Amino acid sequence: MSVLHVTSPHVRKPMTTNAVMRHVIYGTIPGLAVLTLLFGWGTLINVVFGSLVAVAAEALVLRLRNRPILFSIKDGSAILTAVLLALAIPPTSPWWITVVGILFAIVIAKQLYGGLGSNPFNPAMIGYVLLLISFPLEMTTWIPANLTEGVAASPSFSQSLALIFGSVDRTVIDGITMATPLDTFKTYAGNDLDMLRSASVLQGSIAGVGWEWVNIAFLVGGLYLVARKIITWHIPVAMVTSLFLLAGLFYIIDPDSYADPIFHVLGGGTMLGAFFIATDPVTAATSNKGKLIYGALIGLLIYVIRAWGGYPDAVAFAVLLLNLCAPTIEYYTQPRAYGHKKANSGIAKS
Amino acid sequence: MSRQIWDIPGGIHPAQNKIQSLQTEITRADIPAELVIPTQQHIGAPAKPCVEVGDKVLKGQVIAEGNGFVSLPVHAPTSGEVIAIESRPIQHPSQIDGVCIVLKPDSNDTWGARHPIDNYQSLERNDVIDAIRNAGIAGMGGAGFPSAIKLGIKPGTKIEQLILNSVECEPYITADDKLIQERADEIIAGLEIMQWLVNPQETLIGIEDNKPDAIAAFKKATANNNIEVVVVPTKYPSGGEKQLIYMLTGKEVSSGGLPSDVGVICQNTGTAYAINRAIHHGEPLVSRITTVTGDAVKHKGNYEVLLGTPVDALLAQAGADMSAASRLIMGGPMMGFSIHDASVPVVKVTNCLLAPTTEEIPVPAQEQACIRCGSCAQVCPAGLLPQQLYWFSKSNELEKAEHFNLADCIECGACSFVCPSNIPLVQYFRFGKGQIRKHKSETIKADHARERFEFRQARLEKEEREKEQKRKARAEAAAKKQAAKKAAALANPPSDASGSPTTPGTDDVADTASNATKLKSAWASATKRWKDAEKALTIAEKNGSDQLEAFQKKVDQLKAKAEKTKALYEDAKTSAASTSPSSPSASPSPAVAPVSNDPMVQLKQASADNFKAWKDAQKKTQEAEANSADNLEALREEEATLKAKSDASKAAMKEARAKEKEAMQAKKATEDPTKQLKLDAAIARTKAKKALKALNSLDDDHASHAALKAAYEKALATADNADAALKAAEEA
Amino acid sequence: MSTVESTATDNPELDLPSTPKKTSSVDTKKIVSDGLWNNNAVLVQVLGLCPLLAVSGSIVNSLALGLATMFVITTSNIAVSMIRNYTTDTVRLPVFVMIIASFTTCIEFLMNAFTYELYLVLGIFIPLIVTNCAVLGRADAFASKNGVFASALDGLMTGLGFTLVIVALGTIREVLGQATLFDNMHLLFGDIAQNWTIHIVDDYKGFLFAILPPGAFVIMGFLLALKNIVDKKLKERATALADKPVSGSRRVRTTGNIS
Ligand code: SF4
Ligand code: SF4
Repeated sequence: MSVLHVTSPHVRKPMTTNAVMRHVIYGTIPGLAVLTLLFGWGTLINVVFGSLVAVAAEALVLRLRNRPILFSIKDGSAILTAVLLALAIPPTSPWWITVVGILFAIVIAKQLYGGLGSNPFNPAMIGYVLLLISFPLEMTTWIPANLTEGVAASPSFSQSLALIFGSVDRTVIDGITMATPLDTFKTYAGNDLDMLRSASVLQGSIAGVGWEWVNIAFLVGGLYLVARKIITWHIPVAMVTSLFLLAGLFYIIDPDSYADPIFHVLGGGTMLGAFFIATDPVTAATSNKGKLIYGALIGLLIYVIRAWGGYPDAVAFAVLLLNLCAPTIEYYTQPRAYGHKKANSGIAKS
Repeated sequence: MSRQIWDIPGGIHPAQNKIQSLQTEITRADIPAELVIPTQQHIGAPAKPCVEVGDKVLKGQVIAEGNGFVSLPVHAPTSGEVIAIESRPIQHPSQIDGVCIVLKPDSNDTWGARHPIDNYQSLERNDVIDAIRNAGIAGMGGAGFPSAIKLGIKPGTKIEQLILNSVECEPYITADDKLIQERADEIIAGLEIMQWLVNPQETLIGIEDNKPDAIAAFKKATANNNIEVVVVPTKYPSGGEKQLIYMLTGKEVSSGGLPSDVGVICQNTGTAYAINRAIHHGEPLVSRITTVTGDAVKHKGNYEVLLGTPVDALLAQAGADMSAASRLIMGGPMMGFSIHDASVPVVKVTNCLLAPTTEEIPVPAQEQACIRCGSCAQVCPAGLLPQQLYWFSKSNELEKAEHFNLADCIECGACSFVCPSNIPLVQYFRFGKGQIRKHKSETIKADHARERFEFRQARLEKEEREKEQKRKARAEAAAKKQAAKKAAALANPPSDASGSPTTPGTDDVADTASNATKLKSAWASATKRWKDAEKALTIAEKNGSDQLEAFQKKVDQLKAKAEKTKALYEDAKTSAASTSPSSPSASPSPAVAPVSNDPMVQLKQASADNFKAWKDAQKKTQEAEANSADNLEALREEEATLKAKSDASKAAMKEARAKEKEAMQAKKATEDPTKQLKLDAAIARTKAKKALKALNSLDDDHASHAALKAAYEKALATADNADAALKAAEEA
Repeated sequence: MSTVESTATDNPELDLPSTPKKTSSVDTKKIVSDGLWNNNAVLVQVLGLCPLLAVSGSIVNSLALGLATMFVITTSNIAVSMIRNYTTDTVRLPVFVMIIASFTTCIEFLMNAFTYELYLVLGIFIPLIVTNCAVLGRADAFASKNGVFASALDGLMTGLGFTLVIVALGTIREVLGQATLFDNMHLLFGDIAQNWTIHIVDDYKGFLFAILPPGAFVIMGFLLALKNIVDKKLKERATALADKPVSGSRRVRTTGNIS
């Protein structure tokens, strides 16, 4: 009789961490598809290339740390980080942007803190912010979506390859790059309304040409995650709602200087952030109440930074700042345990 | 019947897998070749065997008696012969052995005398409760807490709800379900007895909505009485006592409290059935319904099994193919524990035997890092944060774990069930709880030791003082005597000029010599005791006893004593040597003088002293009692010791008055009680240890914890008392 | 400050309070090794981080600030040591700060006169040397208890240790940030240094992160880790070496006792 000694419970739900990561990656597919349709093959190439770099970097550090390599790589968390980062950076970013960002994300933001589950900050966003402050130029040159007036087609596969890996004179694409809608809005809103109205990236769209489709695609992917119970609705709903309400408030006050709430909700990286970045379980709050607070504060910070900060988009900064607050939120939103009059709150006294 | 059902937080919906074992009627299991009946099938002290090897017993005969308040008797499940009383592997998560009575059935299954109570209403409630206790009935759902204790509510406690727990939320198990379907009337009869016992405002039956047949049976059986069947939605773990109480009444049992604190008593279905059998039929608890299921079992179903039936016999009857089984689980898949040794017996709490195949319940995957997904917190029915508890238990930050209410975890396993990283959370929690318990009992132990030490220190000081005083008194007396003698000698020198002056000298010599002899024998005995203790220590060391330190200390003490006596003896010898050859006119040395005194006077003095000390202590204790001082215990102990001392010295004095021979006998007599006391102390210690073990083995978070703890503390106190008495006796 | 004081007790011979010590009895080797490595102001005591992180963006800045700090530590150590028997405990800190401030003012004026551009670049961080804990720390923990020569040496070595770390940090940041070495060295050394700049990679995009304070933190973290690794390796080697004779002697001793 081969009985083995295992403690209860003996049955488990079939959902595993690996499956969670896999599903989140699946969830990004609609967004990835739309980005590819609108901006060319760049994003897809970055995703694949970035994943390879991430796996290599993870394997290297695990080796240095004397940890089982294959076991940890199989959990898919490194690939997920790479995918999220690649989705966030411009499709035509040169290869070294991806490499630097991912190395920093995996090696410093994740593994140096102890690997999966121990990192206080979302690694993909740390990588993104590092890139943003180090290479502001590269990180803000987006080619316009191919729906934009006066823009012919998005780069073909070979063109994208050349842009990313080739030593193409990048000034060539400077001719075709434009500021992103959020950027444009930031530049002109409140002072040059004519320019704002005539900016081609904003023509005929509700949140910048193409961007509403990108956001809707991420929303669809996010709903898939909610349906699969990979994430709960709390963080995305709280985040989008607070962003919407705040934007609505200021839009009512001064529609000339402030963009309308739809523009905020469907513009930039809002949906990617709401469903895929802010919901990263490792760095978010865990209780339902905590998640609501966490999401709402992210929405608030996004609006504050977009409206009055120095950077056009703010998902990454907002998420990182709230990562910092997550433990505190946790301490003050503990559930009440059965048989206790009051919920614990605050830090354990010792 | 629109009763509000409160919803518990969290909960999970594992695959039910109940249908497999519901296909057949309850089958009577065969009487096996040999029954192994553990003396401990319940929470509390194990029963004391009251039969000898070779005794013929009848079915239902008591073969082990309950041993204390939290304990239950054990009955012979069938007629046969006792062939052994020995340690055997028993049902326990940590696979320990326990004392078992092994019975060889004679296959006649003859009942002994049965005393059904026809009209229990005419009896005193306590008599009925005693009958339940004497039938050996324990909670048959999980932990096995003696039912009589639960039913024996404190007078004045108002019970609002009596709840029959028929939820049976664990997957696979259908023992209660089947029992209800087939014998609902008998269960209700048992429930009515309990109803009469605790007189609740309402009586509820909680049952999950996945048992339509059982619900129908219950509805039929309760048509004519005031028992209400409340159907709750299927969700694990709604069968947890606290969870069910909340679902049905909206009341929460406060952390660390008992259901009766909020006016609720919750009993298990099987228990109600057993109570019915015990009262109406006079049958003690000797069998139970056990579900045998899992894909490795051919004839899945429910079996009525004699307690003590080895698991492998039952499995064999059910046609289990153990080579196909991935593991063997006693209990359900959520809270049961896997057993290695299939020879362990079925006991009062064994509701299920699960032998799943590898496909059914695969080998657990490797544990991954916690990704803080919070799923565990979402499903925890106790509202805990398992991910935090996990972290604290793992890093041994026990205080924080306690702060996060680790103690309120009911170990239901819902968190482990959902954890995507395959973390065996419950295992960590059990570990953490064990650590905390260990920590606590260590602190208690340390406190006790400190108290004892301080007490001893005080006593020694006092003794020292008393001795000092006595010595002074004696020295004075001797000096006076000397002076008087000298004066006398001076007064009439001519009459005894030859002998008189020598008298004091020879006296001294003789005394010193006898003193030396005494000391020598004292030294010898002290040395012997030391050596004995050392031997014991070596043995203890070999066995890895946990009282090693105590032993060590004792040995050291004895050694010191032996050395001291030796030194004294040598002193005495030299002084004797120096005294004897000295000239008759040499004056006695003051150091030796006090010894040469009348023993009677000494005894009298000591007796008076001791008496006074006792009186003082008594007064102090009374005062303390009045002020409810917190060192009452210590004072009481002191008083007891002093009293014993005083009494002993009185006795000694009386005896000393008698002849020399009688005195010798008296000495012997005092030695005997010492032995008895020693024995008592040892017994008390063992009891305490056992209680502690029971406490530690109590994995389930259950109300009985407090009671057990009380029992343990009582045992410990008894042990201490016995020790103190022993010490006193030894001193006397 | 507590770190500083505790380090003073590391040296048993430096522990005796305010009794003037003969310079000859001071262990110069220990002072040197403590200042440069074992008790390095930055890598071990983690002092003076504010200027360290703020101005270590390039080699020239680092070198300038390092030298200035070294100057202040050495001179103030000497001065403090000279008056150590004439200041009471109660007023010693204000006195030390005054002394340090005077020397800082000196170096500020000197830089203003000779390396004006650098003076502008370093800006507030030169006056801020006064508040550098490493300076006051050495004055209080060492110079106020030791002779002039020992104090001078200690100041020099602590300053040198500080300078080495800050220059290392500056080098890494300069290479990462703009892929050059010795850029702008003429600010410090005059015209001969005009062509010292080495370009490692042509057409480097610039890595702003390394130039910005967060980069300094990260690189600093790596330097600390490096020091710990080196120390660990050294210790391992030391124990490996030390093990042999010890075990040998033990063997000799135990022969009689065993069994
Ligand atoms: S379910 Fe598992 S992985 Fe998720 S938070 Fe709880 S312990 Fe961590
Ligand atoms: S085992 Fe404990 S922590 Fe886990 S779900 Fe059950 S009660 Fe909560």
